[in-house]
Amino acid sequence: MRIGGQEGNSERLVNRTVERYGVWLRSAVVLLCGALGLVWADASDVPRALSLLAPAVLASGLRLWALRRPLPLALLWTLDAAVVTPMGLAQPVLGGEGANAMVEVAVGISVIAFQFEWATRPAAGVALAVAGGAACVLGDILSSPAHDPDVVPLVRMLIQVGLSRAGYLIVRARARAADRSAAVRAALRREADVAAARRATEREYLATLHDTASATLLMVSQGDSRDWSWLPPRARQDLEALSAMPGFETGSVDLAALLRCVPEGEGQARVRLTTHIEGPLAMPSGPGLAIFNGVREAVTNVSRHAGVREAELRAWREGANGVVVELSDAGGGFDPDSVPVRRRGISGSIVGRMRAVGGTASITSRPGTGTRVEWRWHDRGRAPRTGDGVLQATGAPCPPRGQAQHTAAVRFIRGQLLYGSQLVALLICLVWQFTISLRRLVAHQDVYQPAWAQTAAFVCLVAVAVTGGAHLLRGRRIPPGVRGWCLGSVLAASAVSAYTLPAGHSTGPADWAFGVVGWHALFLLADLRVRVYAAILGAHIGINSASVVWHGAPTAAEAAVLGIATVGSCGLQLAIGVLMTHLLRDTAPAAGSAAAREEELRTRERIHEHLQSDHKERYRALTATTVPLLVGLGHGVLSPHDEEVRLRCGVEGARMRRLFAEGDAVADPLLNELRACVEVAEHQGVTVSLAVRGRPGEVPVEVRRELVDPVAVTLGRTRSAARVTVVWTPGAVRVSVVGVDCADDRTEASAVPAHSRAADPHVSVVRTRRGESVWAEASWSRPVSSGVDLP
Amino acid sequence: MSNDAPVSVVVIDDHPAILSGVEMWYGASPRPIIVVAAGASVREAWTAPGSAADVVVLDLQLGEAVPAFSSLRRLVDAGRQVVVYSMRDDEKTALTCLDLGAATFLTKSEGQEHLVEATLAAADERPYMPPALAGALGTNARADRPQLSSREENVLIEWFQSESKELVAQRLGISVRTVNSYLDRVRIKYANVGRPARTKASLVARAVQDGLVDVDDL
Repeated sequence: MRIGGQEGNSERLVNRTVERYGVWLRSAVVLLCGALGLVWADASDVPRALSLLAPAVLASGLRLWALRRPLPLALLWTLDAAVVTPMGLAQPVLGGEGANAMVEVAVGISVIAFQFEWATRPAAGVALAVAGGAACVLGDILSSPAHDPDVVPLVRMLIQVGLSRAGYLIVRARARAADRSAAVRAALRREADVAAARRATEREYLATLHDTASATLLMVSQGDSRDWSWLPPRARQDLEALSAMPGFETGSVDLAALLRCVPEGEGQARVRLTTHIEGPLAMPSGPGLAIFNGVREAVTNVSRHAGVREAELRAWREGANGVVVELSDAGGGFDPDSVPVRRRGISGSIVGRMRAVGGTASITSRPGTGTRVEWRWHDRGRAPRTGDGVLQATGAPCPPRGQAQHTAAVRFIRGQLLYGSQLVALLICLVWQFTISLRRLVAHQDVYQPAWAQTAAFVCLVAVAVTGGAHLLRGRRIPPGVRGWCLGSVLAASAVSAYTLPAGHSTGPADWAFGVVGWHALFLLADLRVRVYAAILGAHIGINSASVVWHGAPTAAEAAVLGIATVGSCGLQLAIGVLMTHLLRDTAPAAGSAAAREEELRTRERIHEHLQSDHKERYRALTATTVPLLVGLGHGVLSPHDEEVRLRCGVEGARMRRLFAEGDAVADPLLNELRACVEVAEHQGVTVSLAVRGRPGEVPVEVRRELVDPVAVTLGRTRSAARVTVVWTPGAVRVSVVGVDCADDRTEASAVPAHSRAADPHVSVVRTRRGESVWAEASWSRPVSSGVDLP
Repeated sequence: MSNDAPVSVVVIDDHPAILSGVEMWYGASPRPIIVVAAGASVREAWTAPGSAADVVVLDLQLGEAVPAFSSLRRLVDAGRQVVVYSMRDDEKTALTCLDLGAATFLTKSEGQEHLVEATLAAADERPYMPPALAGALGTNARADRPQLSSREENVLIEWFQSESKELVAQRLGISVRTVNSYLDRVRIKYANVGRPARTKASLVARAVQDGLVDVDDL
């Protein structure tokens, strides 16, 4: 697929294969013909022939070498021209009778090879073909100045060049089709892999949350007079478990709220803190917790070492997105340089912790002047974090990559290339038969003995091409029976043509069949091993040789001409057969592997990207509310005996339950999430009636969050009875909860985040309060066009 | 509108606990409600003394798989005032009962709050709209439903949501009386499009007479 002008794997590899192949083919032919020509040339012509052939051979060698070490294109082109021009011009000086035929073959195959070699730059290929043709004509004129140059070989060359270009274009089109379809399927598979990875992390995240924060908060919210000594360490553990999860630092937390939770210590060790905090100080939870933990450690240090019981805690915003926290005391002070290394309180808890999250902490103290600790943190926007962009570090699950997928891709690419190759062979059959062969058959009707047999053989070959073409164009394989019959017909046509041709005409201008039969066989056998094709070609050559011998043994010179003609047609056909096999057996798997590698990389990138944003989204929803609660509980600042704290825990617990229910595969996810909240409330002894009216429809997950949240909040604050309803009207969904709030107005307002999230503009929440009754209704106007109603 | 004359009721329900609960709620009614007959079969409503009762309280699920819609239809055709009292809490059942000509439709969870009022309203041939029924009417999407104003639909839905006319009134900034008149008007619109029945005739006639609806509205 040409994405942004880039060629796909199959196309790239096809181009490379045909280029290498073209160079090898041409070099082999030039060397072979050059050698034969020298052997047969008159002794007097050898020096002149050598002077023409030597540069051609040298240029061929250089060109072969350039396959490994790329040279400038202009130089390559010159080399190619230097091969074909002397070959064409060598006609008069090369060996005897076969010279004409041999040079024709060499130049003819060269100009075909150029079309492969310069497949990606057709203009260069055509220019080389023109140069070759011109040289050939010039050589012809030079060798026999008496008569006009023969046009027929030139036309044949033109047809062959056109066919090779067309052949390349067809195969390339199939390769592109393969790439395109591979890209589409890869994209689908990638989506599936990404989705699977996201689900896996989501499950893991939810499991952690369930085992830690959710369990703790629900226990607190249900709690009555119990022993709570287990709570602070448990809350701190939960917090650590949450912080250890990837992406946690992307959540946002209010540092001001955290700092108000800094424990002052008990009894003798208590430090009275004077706080001046300019809140709120929203910041990522990672650095926020690092500062909080550092401050906590520093306060303990005051009580242990400073010899005073008072300290001042200040926090303010610096610049647009910086935060500064300062803790100072008027105690004994110390010399920071003389603190032993093994004392980790300052180096680890305060300085090291801040460095790990990209902030700084500094301690200013001198004996007798008190101590000042300062924490600074600046949001550097999208500054790269450790682990960001390094896939292994995030522990992103690897996409499942199976051998099966790989073989399927290879099979598909191979199928496309095979189809292309067969189309090319079919095209060559038809064009060749109706141009070169037909002209010869018509022009030499009087030569054949009898003529009708030749015509019948021609019709038979046409029938074979049409039969095979009919299967192929309908996208079907040629059935083995049909293939057998067709091959038989092809060989029969070859035999009929060979034996009804008078002596001396074999492979000559009157022999229309010899050069075309091989193409039919190639078209029929393209999907089998090249050995089979070689055997059929051998049979074809054998039949013709036998007929020549039957007509009377040829002279050596005649045999040489016959041999050159055989190499020129059957050799080229075999060479093309080998190229096709190479494309199918080597290029296709290579393209498949390359595609698989690229695909895996792309999938990993996408998974990484998604996991990052998923984490961000999840933590944004949680850290602002849950983290301060856990911090407060963990450090004893919030007491589980406080009814208000228990209510907050209940609300957060219900919110988490809703989050857990979010991933359930159910027909009516909204109702499912509501039930999750209702269950939490019922567990705490609240009688909840849940009623639904109307036809349920689809609601996006973000909207569901906002619709259910008021229910979670109200149910979390209700201790007696509540009614939850869902009403589906054609234009809206209305989720309502009526409860009895046991706390007063002020605290209720604080439990409802006023600045929660970028709320969906189509979701509106109305709250009505009458006595103790609280009625909250969230409604979402459904887009009219959206929505397949659920059954 | 209402008077203090005792109301006689026949209760048809196959669950003894429900029967005793219903009798207890009636016992606490300020206006006397006398259960003249009770039983698990609809025969009670056709034989004396049940055949003369002012109101029939009918459970739809009488030990059979299918709801007793045909019994309801025969009772309505005989000119009886029927309060359907059902475990079923879906809007389809509620709408079908109204179509068949029931005076009102109550779910069992609403019994304690609404059964006494609903029975008295049926006896007086006044409209009565409990929340579950209001929810069903508010989301009714059938083609043959009567045309309701958006305010009427809103009142229906909010009454269903909150089960408190005071909360609805406070939210909409209207009086409880106005809330009631919206609910009554909806009930009459439904009666008007329903099957010819005594309920329909009396409800519509009284509503027009009271000026609750305009004849042009219907």
